[in-house]
Amino acid sequence: MHERLSFYIPRSSTLHQLNPLTKVTLTFTLIILAFFSPWYWTAPLLAVGVILPLSALGQVLRPYLSAAARLVLPAVAFIFVMQSLFLPGGQTVLVRLWLLEVTVESLSAAFLTTTRIFAMVSAFILFLLTTHPSHLMSDLTRRKLPAAFAYVIISTLQIIPQMQAKAQTIMDAQRARGLDTESGFIRRVQALTPLVGPLVFGSLVEVEERAIAIEARGFSSTRPKTSLHEIPDTPRDRAIRWVLLALIVLTFASKLWLS
Amino acid sequence: MSSVGSTSAPVQTTGRTGLVGSVRRDFNTMTWVLMPVAIAINVAIGQIVLALKLPVYLDSIGTVLVGVLCGPWAGALTGLLSNLIWGIALDPNALPWFPVAAAIGATAGICAKFGLFKNWWKTAISGFLIAIVAAIISAPIAVLVYGGITASGSSMITAFLLQTGQGLYTSVFSTNFLVEPVDKISTALLAFAIIEGLSARYLARFPRPENAALGAQADRRTQLLIAVGIVIILFLVDAFIIVNLISD
Amino acid sequence: MAVLNLRNVTYTYPLTDAPVLKNVSLQVEEGEFVAVIGPNGAGKSTLCYAIAGFIPHFYKGELTGTVEVEGVDVRQTTLSERVLQAGLVFQNPFSQITGAKYTVYEEIAFGLENTGVPPDEMHRRIGQVMRLTGITDLAERSPYALSGGQQQRVALASILVMEPKILVLDEPTSQLDPIGAREVFAVIKALSEQGRTVVMVEHKVEWVAAFADRVIALDGGEIVLEGTPRQVLSAVELAGRGFGLSRYTLAAHEAEKQGLWPRGEPLPVTLAEAVAGFGRRGGKA
Repeated sequence: MHERLSFYIPRSSTLHQLNPLTKVTLTFTLIILAFFSPWYWTAPLLAVGVILPLSALGQVLRPYLSAAARLVLPAVAFIFVMQSLFLPGGQTVLVRLWLLEVTVESLSAAFLTTTRIFAMVSAFILFLLTTHPSHLMSDLTRRKLPAAFAYVIISTLQIIPQMQAKAQTIMDAQRARGLDTESGFIRRVQALTPLVGPLVFGSLVEVEERAIAIEARGFSSTRPKTSLHEIPDTPRDRAIRWVLLALIVLTFASKLWLS
Repeated sequence: MSSVGSTSAPVQTTGRTGLVGSVRRDFNTMTWVLMPVAIAINVAIGQIVLALKLPVYLDSIGTVLVGVLCGPWAGALTGLLSNLIWGIALDPNALPWFPVAAAIGATAGICAKFGLFKNWWKTAISGFLIAIVAAIISAPIAVLVYGGITASGSSMITAFLLQTGQGLYTSVFSTNFLVEPVDKISTALLAFAIIEGLSARYLARFPRPENAALGAQADRRTQLLIAVGIVIILFLVDAFIIVNLISD
Repeated sequence: MAVLNLRNVTYTYPLTDAPVLKNVSLQVEEGEFVAVIGPNGAGKSTLCYAIAGFIPHFYKGELTGTVEVEGVDVRQTTLSERVLQAGLVFQNPFSQITGAKYTVYEEIAFGLENTGVPPDEMHRRIGQVMRLTGITDLAERSPYALSGGQQQRVALASILVMEPKILVLDEPTSQLDPIGAREVFAVIKALSEQGRTVVMVEHKVEWVAAFADRVIALDGGEIVLEGTPRQVLSAVELAGRGFGLSRYTLAAHEAEKQGLWPRGEPLPVTLAEAVAGFGRRGGKA
């Protein structure tokens, strides 16, 4: 009846047991390495040699591959083709298509960009597959993230599917009245109005009531917050975070040194 | 005789002056409850527009709404979170663009502070300003993260411009200046339409109800005509900018 | 000392001129169950907001008079402290779901987390409150995957868990189907039997008659009548003014005009009383 907007898959893997902050740090380290490492082949190596094995370690190999294929590959393929064909300034022409040419330079630039993006998005996907949103928020709140932020993020994740369902209902009703997503431009623009109204105003009306409801639960209280669940932060977590931090520093240092 | 004020501020002694005060003022309980709804509006309308295959994004209406009703800081945060959540939950290609989304919210809030959301034609101007800001801030991201050619359809335009010998930044800026105004002016106008449909009593609950036009509008027809006129002028200005960029 | 003490309370919402509450004075002792009835626009919800502190802290506007809970006037305290003394549950079960939690158990904990209750105490209180509201088996469900009646019981639980002195209920069953309404009333009945102090706005006068120690009739922002359920709910001057006097009352009133109701017999509120009354009439002839 309701959906959760979340990649999370419950497992009892090593990755799942790591503290959420550790996993956040890992994700950012991977992204920084992919984008700032001076070595050309960093990103693809990370994607295949680090993230993929980690997904197996996290017992989410299948979901990871499926999410990567569904979400990342299309965009990345598009960018690769576009960049290979259109990036200017290349010398060594490999292929000539009509007015466009694929050069070694544009190909290698395209490869660099796309592998970096692939690595970045994969890192995020892995993180989301192994981290429950409320655990992440609980932990961050314990580390002094304002409770209001946690509130906003989780309730957004829950409200979006509801809004999407509402939008779908309204769109279906419109289709029953003859709206065709293939029909003319003006028709489609007109279709927007009856969709936006009920969707938007209905949800705005609830805002005041919900504000009262959360105030009635002490939302604005200035007392120090506590948490129902304590997410463990082990020495292993801390050690891993220090190592990751060192890697980040090393990456930036080597980038500076080599430039 | 009756008093209006921002809501649910406990009897507190912390100041509302200065920078911190200005940030604080943007955020009351209604702001925090509005933000998820605004982000969901961004997503829902953005996805409907995709389904209807219209040549716009319209994925920042909620962000602009928060910027106007709550202030620039709240608008910026809404944009930021909206992008992050969209990127995390729906399409990871949205992630690198969060500074743009934040800038959109902030700009909307600042325009609103100067009264630029009080009628149709002023809102159109705000939309244009938001478009300029969005165009400028998304350019470096497109270049640094994507090498200039992003995953969106508009990169075809960039590609074309690159082929005709334009510089990288010129191509990216021109593409943005072509694409953003239509989208952001429509966004601003839609946000204005939404605010118009809310009662003064309801708006008073938010931190900055004074940004909305309370009280009767002057003749609607004239308003809309002026707005159309302004939009045409804005598009001419835009074309001028693009032509100048390209011929440099 | 009265746990709730309103003295000469007059309140006007912002941007309006007419006061919604006019010189209202009300005292509620600990353990009392007070029902508030009245037509739409009488100021019943406003009264609830005033008790729970939302007036003036959330709604601003002009408030004169004093609203004291446990001796503390509302202006002497903050909203987030006041709600710990007077908990509010209102009509719409859906908008009382915070959205910030994925399970009912965590949803109930929300208020406790906000107000700094230690985790062990949280678990103890949540278990207790779930038993009270009959939702223990819903603990791991999403709050969104529940019926209206279940959601309203979760809302009740989420407020009760904060252990307020007074429970303020603003038409808690008006948006529920009959089954949901019955579930919620069962919980309220249990609470009242436990000696909770309850102020409840309610339209279903038969229920009011069954639970309330005292009934307040509010109209146009003023208290027009106050007394036991028997007294207030059979007061004919309230008929036809939107107070929701039960059809049994109104039927017996009409019957009395025609000499068909036993003279001097108080008007019935429930079906049982009506049957009994009309039955006695038959005996007297």
